[in-house]
Amino acid sequence: MSDGADSFVFQYLAPFVGVLLIAVGIAGAVPGGYALIEPDLENCGNPTIGVEGPEETAERFGEDEPGPRLPQVAFEDLSSAEQTAFLTAVDDPVGEEQVVGSVPNADAFRRGAIVTYEGERYYVTLVAENTCFAAAPLQFPLGVFAIALGFLGVLAPPLYRRLVRLEQRAGRSE
Amino acid sequence: MLNRAIVEGTALTVLALSVLCLWLRERQKARPESDGGYTTREEIGFEIGRLQSELSRWLTTTDHRDIGLLYIAFGTAAGLWGGVDAMMLRTELLTPPADIWTPETYNALFTTHGLTMLIFFVLPVFFGIGNYVLPLLIGADDMAFPRVNAIGFWLLPPALILVRMGLMLQVLGQVLNLVLPADAIRFFLTMREVSVGWTLYAPLSVQQPNPQIDLLLLGLHLSGIATTVGAINFITTIAYERGEGVSWANLDIFSWNMLVTSGIALFAFPLLGSALVMLLLDRNLGTAFFATEGGGAILWQHLFWFWGHPEVYILFLPATGLMSLILPKFVGRKLFGYQYIVYSTLGLGVLSFGVWAHHMFTTSADPRVKLSFMAVSIAIAVPSAIKVFNWITTMWEGDIRLTAPFILCAGGIGTFIIGGVTGVFLAVIPVDILYHGTYYVVGHFHLIVVGIIPFLMIAASYYWYPLITGRWYDTRMARFQALLIVFGSFVTFMTLLVIGGLGLPRRQAIYPPEYQFAQQIATVGGYVIGLSALLWLYNMLVSYWRGTPVTTTDPWGLKATNQFTREWQWFEQRMMDKYDMEPTEPETTRRSYAPEAEPAGLAGGVGTVAQTVSRNAWMAAAGGFVGTVLMSGGLITAILIGVLDPVSFGEIAELVGLPASPAIGAGLFLVGGTVTWPLLFLAFSDYLPGRLLFETGLVFATLISSGFAIAFYTGQSGLAFVGYLTFVLVSHWAYGIGLTVTFQYLKSDEVLQSRSDGGG
Repeated sequence: MSDGADSFVFQYLAPFVGVLLIAVGIAGAVPGGYALIEPDLENCGNPTIGVEGPEETAERFGEDEPGPRLPQVAFEDLSSAEQTAFLTAVDDPVGEEQVVGSVPNADAFRRGAIVTYEGERYYVTLVAENTCFAAAPLQFPLGVFAIALGFLGVLAPPLYRRLVRLEQRAGRSE
Repeated sequence: MLNRAIVEGTALTVLALSVLCLWLRERQKARPESDGGYTTREEIGFEIGRLQSELSRWLTTTDHRDIGLLYIAFGTAAGLWGGVDAMMLRTELLTPPADIWTPETYNALFTTHGLTMLIFFVLPVFFGIGNYVLPLLIGADDMAFPRVNAIGFWLLPPALILVRMGLMLQVLGQVLNLVLPADAIRFFLTMREVSVGWTLYAPLSVQQPNPQIDLLLLGLHLSGIATTVGAINFITTIAYERGEGVSWANLDIFSWNMLVTSGIALFAFPLLGSALVMLLLDRNLGTAFFATEGGGAILWQHLFWFWGHPEVYILFLPATGLMSLILPKFVGRKLFGYQYIVYSTLGLGVLSFGVWAHHMFTTSADPRVKLSFMAVSIAIAVPSAIKVFNWITTMWEGDIRLTAPFILCAGGIGTFIIGGVTGVFLAVIPVDILYHGTYYVVGHFHLIVVGIIPFLMIAASYYWYPLITGRWYDTRMARFQALLIVFGSFVTFMTLLVIGGLGLPRRQAIYPPEYQFAQQIATVGGYVIGLSALLWLYNMLVSYWRGTPVTTTDPWGLKATNQFTREWQWFEQRMMDKYDMEPTEPETTRRSYAPEAEPAGLAGGVGTVAQTVSRNAWMAAAGGFVGTVLMSGGLITAILIGVLDPVSFGEIAELVGLPASPAIGAGLFLVGGTVTWPLLFLAFSDYLPGRLLFETGLVFATLISSGFAIAFYTGQSGLAFVGYLTFVLVSHWAYGIGLTVTFQYLKSDEVLQSRSDGGG
């Protein structure tokens, strides 16, 4: 298995650079590709809200009205996506649910808001932004290209030996 | 966030299927050589009976060599599994936020990575190597208790399954969820991989409700039993089964190391078992061993590390034993200071039980107690240093053979020195208080557990490959793989030392953005380690069927330096009995060191344009056309992904006074590539570097690519500029290769033609 010519560049350097390219290519292509397909895979870009029930809300702020700095939103003023998430979170043991759809009240939730629902006050906060993974658009194609090129580098030694045999057949020996 | 169970399950399945397909394909291709040189392994049909007998043989074997191979195969599989964990967690660290896996998944990844690698990868592989060669080294027929040996191995697979069941159940749950409602399979959907860290610190490990923790504790307990019976077996074998002429004074160094390792395991693992049972009771029966009102959470740390630190030496000592055994063989000198290495091994065995609290310098233990542990932790560097100095002295003025095992030995010494010296810093309490829980610690211990330990496993696999299989591995690929893993380890873990020195905490999925570049370097280095592991696996599997058969009784030429040890004597006897081989004499030159054939040079090649244009022009044109077509593939791809602007082709048309149309430009480009550049190449090839024509072609292509890069540049910047340059360069290389290889191919055809005409 060790026949043929010896060349430092093609036997060691090319596959070494090839492996580096594959490694860099994976590091570029995996996040880059993930960024491309993430919106189809899951609901990213929409925050998760946490809802505290009337008891916890009362415990948190006492019986007084929370100060004027806290936004107050009526349940009817929430968007339909926010309403759905709110109701699911109220029933959820952990009290959290991701909003699926538009979130016009995101800023209010980010600061912490009081939502009035059926006469009860619920403290609603934003517990996770769920931002979409962002990557440069070229990261994926260049990463794939680097992996392909790297494979070529790794395969350089056998290809080199093949080429050496070809050159010998062509009668170019001294 | 990505679904960890599906991703890891898929990765492992693909890996397993690739190994299986590769194995079957190579076995299928193994045929006797047409020149009748030697007989290969007979091709085995897939008869059910044959499979049954093979299966029952491997399931019921008590032969030490078979069990050794089973251990090694199991350890390798576990190592690949733990390695996939590592690749996944390094992928998470490419970006500062936790945006590929959730933080919870990241925690689970580093937990299972640690447990799988330490308990199911390193120990089984070393027990496997020990099982295979130790009886041969001491002249024993087999291990002292063959059936206990088999039990010791067969306890491990169920232990691994118990420990890693979380992943399997997650995958199963998600597959079942496709057809069954969630309520019916609630159990599968609640189980998940343990995420409390491999050290299982109380109170988190007591309070976390995940039932997989209980299964993990049971699995670890089972593996502890397996290790303990294995250790008893090694101790008894070395004490009572030594052959004629093997005394304590001349017992080989690897056996000494296995003896001390087994001694440590015998005292450490039962203690781990007790601590695990206490944790199980705390979790399930309400006892208070580790509750604040009871024994306290610190008690867990004491018990755990009283096993945990000796465990580090259980992993490390067999590697030093292999180093002391293998290194002298490739430097042509006997091990320097054999006696002192034995003493240092015994010293490490004793001292390893006296340093456990250095993992707890930031806890509330009494400072005076900590001080004593600091003293012992610094002292433990002395026996380690004795080993290092002896290895270096062994190499001193030696006749070094740059084989894959030697590269791994030398690399292992290097990583061990850095890993060891950083450990001395960590042994000092004030420094440790700064660095505790940072990447500095991760870098320190990985330089040892990815440095010397797997390096020496791989070195041993290369060194004994001829003995185990009767064939040679691909030596050049092995040398390359060895260099690659040494490089990858240095890059990855030196980077971690640096970012740890800057204070970045370990075990966190989210980190400040200023560390991103360093983390990316470490991740790329990690991928290089992973790729080198795959190369090793490929070499081992393929060489079993395709490797050059060993045709000498002394494959490594050890007789010449008086190092023909007992396992090779056994091999020689086997070769004599099996193939009627003559014992090899030291003067014999082995094939793997034969000087390789000199490649053909360029002289007498293409010649000047005037002499060769008539004969070579059409060949060059054909080559140029092929090259241009290949090059176009690269350029079209570049246009498609948006790093090359097709408008720039219009400028070529303008140059010759035609309308600036990209299509006309592309046509001219094809003509130029077919006619102009090949002729230029023919004219200049004699004055360009490169022994072979295709090397010259690559140089030529590289030179002309600079002109292209300038002429076709349309203001790309950033990643697009990098992509543009890369595509230009690679496309030109494709052109150079296409041009020269086609040319040579046509020429070789012509040569053959003229020869057959002349001879006809």
